[in-house]
Amino acid sequence: MKTAGFVMIVGLALSCAAAQDATVSGAKSNILALEHAWDQAQERGDATALAAIFDNSLVYVDYDGTLLTKAEYLARVKSNATHMQQIVADEMSVQVFGDTAIVVGTYRAKGVENGKPYLRRGRFTDTWILMRGHWMCVAAGTTPILR
Amino acid sequence: MCGDWCEVGMEGGGGVAKFFYVLLVLLATSGLGAESGAQPDGEEARILTLENAWNQAVQQKDAAALKMLLASDLIYVEYDGTLMNKAEYLASVQSPALRPARIVNESATVHLYGAVAVVNGVCRESGIKNGRPYALRERFTDTWVRRSDSWVCVSSQSTLATH
Repeated sequence: MKTAGFVMIVGLALSCAAAQDATVSGAKSNILALEHAWDQAQERGDATALAAIFDNSLVYVDYDGTLLTKAEYLARVKSNATHMQQIVADEMSVQVFGDTAIVVGTYRAKGVENGKPYLRRGRFTDTWILMRGHWMCVAAGTTPILR
Repeated sequence: MCGDWCEVGMEGGGGVAKFFYVLLVLLATSGLGAESGAQPDGEEARILTLENAWNQAVQQKDAAALKMLLASDLIYVEYDGTLMNKAEYLASVQSPALRPARIVNESATVHLYGAVAVVNGVCRESGIKNGRPYALRERFTDTWVRRSDSWVCVSSQSTLATH
């Protein structure tokens, strides 16, 4: 009887752990998909698509330390003065802390700013929060990789 | 942004001062020092206290205090793009080559999302690194998560503010 009870408890624990793993792994997949969608929308200059994945309270820290709100960031994406032709993210990893996730990764971006071409390499950190069943980005920042 | 208690409490850097400092960090992280039924303002104040405590702990090379403030799975991105985990960050703070003389938050804003807080601000740091004076102005973004009744930082990123 004791053995059966023990097996049942272990089974329950394993199934709970597996369910939790599935949730975490599902969250990671969702967030990585959103990160890729973000890159693609940025290349297309698609502010509408971007607006859907950012919370209204978004704080965005640009490559040069400039702080942008969601509206400012979207305006810049739409602006003719800045055009990001290509952005490739790699080394992305997601850490999930319940309803919060942190994505850290590196990227290479190529584009034109104020008529001048640029090529940048940076490290980014994005904070995502699960809100009403959807992952929304509340903070994002990039830092140039200097070494 | 560093309150008077930071300046007064840490002067001298003796054993008693360190004891009270660690006690203050404990109170701030555990919420025991907060008023009962704390409103968002109270939580924001707690987070800002923790931010100031972090600055002081770096300045004092106080690994014990830092360990309490930072999650074991911390993600830390330095202003030069270096990625560090908690152990690497603690080692970098304790490096004898780094002697920060002053770390002050010029500004800091807290956005609260229930058990998550995002702090964005500007920090000025100066001191001696590898025998040479340095002065940095960085914009930082820190994400704090409430675990039980304590706040711990899970992610921190700095970017040099060039203008």
